[in-house]
Amino acid sequence: MQPSNPTTGYQQSLAHYCRTGEYTHIRGVHTDHVQHYRRLVYNVVDDSLQSAYPLTYHLLEEEEWNNLVQRFFSEHPCQSPQLWYMPKELYDYMIAATHPLLTRYPFLLELLWFEWLEVALYMMEDKTTEYRHQGDLQQDKLVLNPEHHLEHFAFPVHLKQAATIIAEDQSHYFLALHRHPESGEVQFTDLSPAFVSMLESLAEGPATMNELLAHACTTLGIPESEAIRQATQAFLAHALRTQLILGFA
Amino acid sequence: MVGIGFRKDFAKEFLDSNTLQPAFIEAAPENWIGVGGYWKKLFQQALEKYPFYTHGLSLSIGSPDDLDFPFLQQVKQFLQDTNAKVYSEHLSYSKCNNAHLYDLLPIPFTADAVKHVSQRIKTVQEVLERKIAIEIVSYYTPVAPEMLEVDFINHILSEADCELLLDVNNIYVNSFNHQYDAYEFLDQLPLERVSYIHMAGHEKVSDDLLIDTHGEAIIDPVYHLFAYAMQKLQRDVPVLLERDFNIPELPLLQEELTRLQDIKNNALKPMAYAAI
Repeated sequence: MQPSNPTTGYQQSLAHYCRTGEYTHIRGVHTDHVQHYRRLVYNVVDDSLQSAYPLTYHLLEEEEWNNLVQRFFSEHPCQSPQLWYMPKELYDYMIAATHPLLTRYPFLLELLWFEWLEVALYMMEDKTTEYRHQGDLQQDKLVLNPEHHLEHFAFPVHLKQAATIIAEDQSHYFLALHRHPESGEVQFTDLSPAFVSMLESLAEGPATMNELLAHACTTLGIPESEAIRQATQAFLAHALRTQLILGFA
Repeated sequence: MVGIGFRKDFAKEFLDSNTLQPAFIEAAPENWIGVGGYWKKLFQQALEKYPFYTHGLSLSIGSPDDLDFPFLQQVKQFLQDTNAKVYSEHLSYSKCNNAHLYDLLPIPFTADAVKHVSQRIKTVQEVLERKIAIEIVSYYTPVAPEMLEVDFINHILSEADCELLLDVNNIYVNSFNHQYDAYEFLDQLPLERVSYIHMAGHEKVSDDLLIDTHGEAIIDPVYHLFAYAMQKLQRDVPVLLERDFNIPELPLLQEELTRLQDIKNNALKPMAYAAI
């Protein structure tokens, strides 16, 4: 794109240098000092990405990480005016790019997404809902924490150290992430397909344990049994303790 | 009034004790817009306790790109929601070629830039329905200058009819980096436009370059320049201590707040007849 006037051209040249490290002479610029702009800009982006993706940073070799950051920042025009949200764009970039790291680490996209989910849930705007603290787990309608996210992974990025994940680990992993209403901490809960079904149902609106149980068994085509009822009760009690389920309608 | 930048690094400790006693707090809208959970709780506690000033980071007033109007509307809403006393931004650009850079790049001191930036400040003021304070930023190299820095700034302040955020440390840093007299520079500014003052520390990275890091204590020459500015201003402009990195123990930050207040008090105390 042609700059509309020389001033615009100078600004674009400096910005291009800060993003890519490719410098073309700009009149009046102190060549020894201009490198600090590149250093400062790059460090802000690198620090923010390391902070959002500590597991990925730990997994990758230093050169791999540096190449990733360098390519991302020079190829991808960051759109968020909010620095804390910018790391989401690395995930978006990796989906769009056919990055060689995705071949070496087939689970990398899921790892990035898992890490971003924790940031996003921790930072997300408050969602409130009405509920009672006291109630009967077996009789009353239960209220799901609206600050939650259900996820399905093909690799156990939430269970194993990333460096130890192997091809044989590929399977179906379900989990719920939620933000604790008091501490604000993000907590993770491993789920069976039946519990996923129950939480999906609860996300539609409050329901009793019996309703959830019936919904899950119908959805999965399995008969209700005492063992399933016991497991469901234990799961829901645990979810109440961790505040994945906030309380009672 | 002397305030402090409300930073996540010390927010909890700050709110849980009386060690720091600022008259107000300041934060960047970008760091708090759309944020909930733990941080929002702390932020709300702070807002209930202190008057609130804001200092933007990403509006990119000096950018050749179009203004981000949706973001500007978010800022406007944030200012309303938080009852912000002041909205300030930087005389720089942080977005270009449709990409955010998350740092402050220097605008070329050119007539084209004066015209462009002045119009953008006017537009921002119209959208926000308030005057904004523009900060003179630290810069580490000139970029294709056609005029002196002070003339560039003064033309913009006049044409945009905006307020000035006087960052005393930045003037000190720039005077060192570009070898001019900071006091003479200050003399040439329209001090009647100063609505807000920033004070901070910097880092010397080479014999001929200071970087505005906000990661060190304020040094004596910057305090002296601040005292000179207060003597010239002769009014109680709010002053902010910025400390973003390398955060010290809170009593040390309070010592800086106290020293800033003492300098202000000294500059503004009525003079005895015999001394006039």
